[in-house]
Amino acid sequence: MEEKKWQAQILPLLPGYLRECLSGLPEQVAEKLEEIRLRAGQPLILQAGSEEKFAGPRGIAESPRDAYRVTVKDLHDILLVMTDFSLYARDEELRRGYLSLPGGHRAGFAGRVIGEGGEVRLLREISGIAIRIAREIKGAAEPLLPHVYCFQEKRVRHTLLVSAPQAGKTTMVRDLARLLSDGDPGRGRPGCKVGIVDERSEIAGCYRGEPQLDVGMRSDVLDGCPKALGMMMLVRSMSPQVVVTDELGRAEDARAVEEVINTGASVLATAHGQNVRELIRRPSLAYLLRNNFFERLIVLSRRQGPGTVEKVYAGEFMQKMLFTEEEPDAG
Amino acid sequence: MLVKGLGAFFILLASMLWSNLQIARLRARVRQLQEFRLALRLLAAEVGYTVTPLPRAFRQVADMLESREVKEFFTAVCRNLRDADSAGAEAAWMKAAAEQRKDFDLTERDWAVLTRTAAGLGGLGREDQLKQFTAVEEQLTSFSRDAEERYARGEKMWRYLGVLSGTAMVILLL
Repeated sequence: MEEKKWQAQILPLLPGYLRECLSGLPEQVAEKLEEIRLRAGQPLILQAGSEEKFAGPRGIAESPRDAYRVTVKDLHDILLVMTDFSLYARDEELRRGYLSLPGGHRAGFAGRVIGEGGEVRLLREISGIAIRIAREIKGAAEPLLPHVYCFQEKRVRHTLLVSAPQAGKTTMVRDLARLLSDGDPGRGRPGCKVGIVDERSEIAGCYRGEPQLDVGMRSDVLDGCPKALGMMMLVRSMSPQVVVTDELGRAEDARAVEEVINTGASVLATAHGQNVRELIRRPSLAYLLRNNFFERLIVLSRRQGPGTVEKVYAGEFMQKMLFTEEEPDAG
Repeated sequence: MLVKGLGAFFILLASMLWSNLQIARLRARVRQLQEFRLALRLLAAEVGYTVTPLPRAFRQVADMLESREVKEFFTAVCRNLRDADSAGAEAAWMKAAAEQRKDFDLTERDWAVLTRTAAGLGGLGREDQLKQFTAVEEQLTSFSRDAEERYARGEKMWRYLGVLSGTAMVILLL
């Protein structure tokens, strides 16, 4: 059986027994694997597409009883190997609850939080690890380009991508960053200088500062930096034409978006929400929408797989909806 | 007469060599303790300022050291850490200590302090890790001072003892 790319990158980080369980997976599960869930004392669970599977020593297990039971020691050993036996070196990331891994994959952690002054100081006694497999789908965002890029004015429109979690927002925004950065001069779309503020290392999947996923040849990544701070830093230091960021939501994010737009750079961002109505309930996003900062709003879902484009709203449609309570047709 | 003279010469030579060996061991302990202190300071810098992961930090510290034994010790810790079946930094340090102890001139007390360096190594937050290095280094500083005093006192004593015990033996035997 041919080893998948994620297997070559993730299996060396796991203890021998878990490595065996995951190296013998059937092709169709290995191909679609999105998450590996490890919880102390619980069976090893895999999320492959929309299906949940249990894994055991002989690959896929029929029931939780036949699956491999993850031990506290497994979790401890995984954490040590993932941090290169040096927790201090990844403390900042651990405080935020995750580690970025080679290949752009991520491991999220649950455990005992040691706080100090209302902030997380340390995360210890790990009780659960979720390894999320990064999937780079080059070309996934091609259908969105005509909405995001204005060929007449040769500029990128201020765009917000909206979806529920795991519906492909980050995959789309990453691919859009790549497409805009590389450009396609043959089709009248020159490459742009793209600045990416990747607060949670999800867009570029940086590992030791180096993007592990393709975000284009003219992209500069500010990894692990708070969005609001990072957007302004990039504008001042790297003069980007497009600023890309993930998961807007806080008041300071909205202020930073406004600032960036006022400097003349375009903003390409994402936000959590099933639909526009949900967005409006969040004051900072409502402020951005009501003041018409975004020229395009794209709603994604998992209906036909992650990244299904549900609706694309143009600025005037958003306004109509916001002020009339009716959901207009997609633009 | 010639044989007696030669015998006396060899007895004196042997006792002086033995005393010089004792002096060299006292001197080596001072040097090794100082080198360990330096190594811990360098390691603390790697952890505190550049936040380098331990395998790379040990390698870089080893490259900067001069003392053969301590350099080899840090190289061994790095090698043990990079081992596919590595059980962590604490185990890597302890394994290197067990394997290389014989190459050092350190006392039991010195090793007890050095072993404390290993406790929780790599499993602590940055500040706690640095505090631990500082505590061990302070103790090594005090041991190093003690070792220097012992060396200063012991050097003369062993030198006289070498000559005098050799002479006494020559007088007794011949």
